[in-house]
Amino acid sequence: MKIFSIAVVLAPPGGPVVILSSANDLSSFSFYQKGTVSEMLTFLSKTVVERTQQGQRQSIQEKVYTAHVYNRGGAEQLAGVIVTDQEYPVRPAFALLTKLLDDFTTKVPQTSFGNPSAISFPEIATYIQKYQDPRQADAIMRLQQELDETKIILHKTIESVLQRGEKLDKLIEDSDTLSKQSQMFLKTAKKQNSCCVIM
Amino acid sequence: MSVQDRTNEFKACVESIRSRSSLPSHADTKQRLLQQDGKPGPKSEFSRMASAIGKDISGTTLKLSKLAQLAKRKTLFDDRPVEISELTFIIKQDIAGINKKIAALQSYVKQRNASGSSSAEGKQIDEHNNNVVMLLQSKLATTSMTFKDVLEVRTQNMKESKNRTEQFMYSTATAANQAPSSKFFRLVDSMLYGSQRSDPMGDGSPSHLDSKGKGRAPQNGDVLALDLNSAEEGGGAHGGALMQMQMVEQQDSYIQQRSTAIESIETTIAELGQIFTQLANMVAEQRETVQRIDADTHDIASNIGGAQRELLKYYASISSNRWLMLKVFGVLIVFVSFDDFT
Repeated sequence: MKIFSIAVVLAPPGGPVVILSSANDLSSFSFYQKGTVSEMLTFLSKTVVERTQQGQRQSIQEKVYTAHVYNRGGAEQLAGVIVTDQEYPVRPAFALLTKLLDDFTTKVPQTSFGNPSAISFPEIATYIQKYQDPRQADAIMRLQQELDETKIILHKTIESVLQRGEKLDKLIEDSDTLSKQSQMFLKTAKKQNSCCVIM
Repeated sequence: MSVQDRTNEFKACVESIRSRSSLPSHADTKQRLLQQDGKPGPKSEFSRMASAIGKDISGTTLKLSKLAQLAKRKTLFDDRPVEISELTFIIKQDIAGINKKIAALQSYVKQRNASGSSSAEGKQIDEHNNNVVMLLQSKLATTSMTFKDVLEVRTQNMKESKNRTEQFMYSTATAANQAPSSKFFRLVDSMLYGSQRSDPMGDGSPSHLDSKGKGRAPQNGDVLALDLNSAEEGGGAHGGALMQMQMVEQQDSYIQQRSTAIESIETTIAELGQIFTQLANMVAEQRETVQRIDADTHDIASNIGGAQRELLKYYASISSNRWLMLKVFGVLIVFVSFDDFT
């Protein structure tokens, strides 16, 4: 479950597609392949953004790579592309894209869109590192995971409560016995005092 | 626990005892008691109806115990849902039928009461009938409660087995999640292929995607079927309307995926709530036990305190000199008097 690259792309409806910011994670490729792979990823990102209309999400598969693209359009005419392997779950990928685009629009002013090399968006690198694990990206998956853990903990709690019940039952038997024995003790002690004055 | 009819054995015993102890004066009344089915009229019919209902209830209880056994099974794969659902259905029908019969019996009893039998014997008969009806109703109520418990156990086991299958086959679930989106991979591929005919982008890519289109091993049967379909359609005509509809479906699928995920979260939270209530119940039940233990401990403490006081008094009385003096003088006097005598 890996993310290979994330890219934020300026995609005006009629015009050329410009990659504004991108980050790659090519650690799984050998040194000599890295160049080729990164070129291919860039090209793939551009192509799929061109083929996606505004306000649409698409997922495209190319050999082992899956490209999830979300063309948000809007005022900034931005689109986000994320290239992952086939295992990466689809829905969190799109959630990640939405989050990425929102973050980008808040951090980077629209004026610098014309000058791609001047845009600095270091968060994109942190994004790609942090969200290799989809659970981190998607709040829903994280929530589900936490709920499952809580359920397991609760099951264990119920089992321990059952054991507590058993122990309490044993305790009450013991205390019953003790109580009766102490009553007998009291009776015998009283008997000592009253009768057998001879002794 | 099947109903056995041992009336004949009973009759044989009675006959043998009667022949042993000759009591001819009571023979007639005993005869009458024995030959109830010979007596005509509503009394025997009532007992017949009641016994039929009792037999039905015991039969239903048998089926219910079989269902409980089936529902308790926790195996992942050998679950027999068809049998269980059939059995559930049969038991439900049985319970409904028994209910109707008991209602009929009750109305029958009321009718007999209304028709009036003021003799003392009649009153006893009515009381007996009413008691029998109550007994049957209570038996039916316990059977229904057991049925409900078995159904609850069954749903719990089903949920557990579903969780376990999800745990073991998580990868299959993710593959299944990707299957719907892979449908759209295919269509987008064919779209790209179609549009690139008119606008060739580069050398490598169209043939890449094209060969990808026809030669990729599908993930499961659904995708394969749609592969062939869309390959034909996409290759043949640019079915624009069809593809647009599929595009809309993809948007929906994202939203639908989100909604399913959220629904599953909702169910999980509801389950958690249930678990919490169960937990609270159990702890509340244990509270009573703890209170008993507390009371017992108090009793023990007071008993032991009292016993200690008594022992102290005893010790004080023994170690005080008064009795000692009396005993010593008593012994001396006894010795002196014995001495005097000798």
